[in-house]
Amino acid sequence: MEESIILAGRYIGAGLAMIGAAGAGVGIGLSVQGALTGMARNPDTYGNLLTNMILGIAFSEAIAIYCLAIAFLILLKIF
Amino acid sequence: MEQETRRPWRRWVVLVLMIAGFVLAGIFIPVRPEITVAPERLIEKPLFILPKPFGPFYLVNTLPTLVATWIILGIIAYFTNRSLKKSAQTDLVPRGIGNVMETLLEVLYNLTESSASSKYARMIFPWFATIMIYVLLANLLKLIPGFESIGVIHPAHGEGYLTKELGTFLGFRWDLLTPDKVEEGGSILAPFFRGVSVDLNFTFALAIISVFMIQVIGFRAQRFGYFSKFFNTRRMFKVPFFGAMDFIVGLLELISELAKVISFTFRLFFNMFAGIILVAVAAFLLGKFTIVASMLYLFELFVGLIQAFVFGMLTMVFMAQATQGHGEEHTEAH
Repeated sequence: MEESIILAGRYIGAGLAMIGAAGAGVGIGLSVQGALTGMARNPDTYGNLLTNMILGIAFSEAIAIYCLAIAFLILLKIF
Repeated sequence: MEQETRRPWRRWVVLVLMIAGFVLAGIFIPVRPEITVAPERLIEKPLFILPKPFGPFYLVNTLPTLVATWIILGIIAYFTNRSLKKSAQTDLVPRGIGNVMETLLEVLYNLTESSASSKYARMIFPWFATIMIYVLLANLLKLIPGFESIGVIHPAHGEGYLTKELGTFLGFRWDLLTPDKVEEGGSILAPFFRGVSVDLNFTFALAIISVFMIQVIGFRAQRFGYFSKFFNTRRMFKVPFFGAMDFIVGLLELISELAKVISFTFRLFFNMFAGIILVAVAAFLLGKFTIVASMLYLFELFVGLIQAFVFGMLTMVFMAQATQGHGEEHTEAH
């Protein structure tokens, strides 16, 4: 009984940890949207905007990756 | 045109490798590696004991990788130097590795000049380029096959795996971990090599160096004016209320410098650590379908490149910000 409660807690915890990925999704979407608008207005800035966009995406994605790492740490009983 | 003679033989290599991966994964079934946050010890006894505040020094499995990184960097530096010397003696046209490194450094230098004034770009550039090349090499070295999979077999404290003897080679007994899990008496693997960036000590040390040098460069550019960013008493006596608020905001800047260290550390560490977990879990759960793990490897290549770029780029941008006066633009805005 107690073990299954712990197991359930672990699964629920891993699921909750992944909620943070939603914020990263919003962040990536917003940065791509901004960059695409800029590119459409002024196609000459394509290369410059693309670099900065990828940089911004990497920052947002890092948040999702923290969530993923924590979720896996909980799932695989590393803590 | 001679379109017909072009033979796309490389795709057959990829196909053969895919099939080989499938077959090999059937023979040597993937075992879930022991994932730990801290690097594992290769030898249980400490190498030597440092005086009181530091304690014992263990041979952990990121140290061999660190030494390998240094050796590779040294080799690259030696051959670049030789190549550039040779081209300086002949016709001043860099060839081979000298050309590659020159292109890379030129791109990085132009990037530095685009955000810092050219006076300080010469000061900032060495830190930016060193950190970036070092972290890039450390991140890419992690992807070499054999990392995280060949190592010393320890008796497990909890759950472990059974081993199968393979034979003796080079005077050592070689065993293979089998996927049979046992509750007690099994063994676990501590790999010889583990990526350097998957060690908090490495990322933390780099972060401290980076943030400390940001302060040093800010001080060299603005002298004591730099500290007015933290202890802002400029408007204290003219407008007491807003002046006091500025002072408190300045104190918050001190905390944000500390936060920089933490975010530098954990960004690099967790990105690389998640890479280990992703590849391990994909290989373990999907078993024979090694193509998924290979695709994650490709993703890891991308992540390693981007993270090295981000680490260097952020250092450079913060340094460039530190050289520009904080106070002047503030008064301009009002």
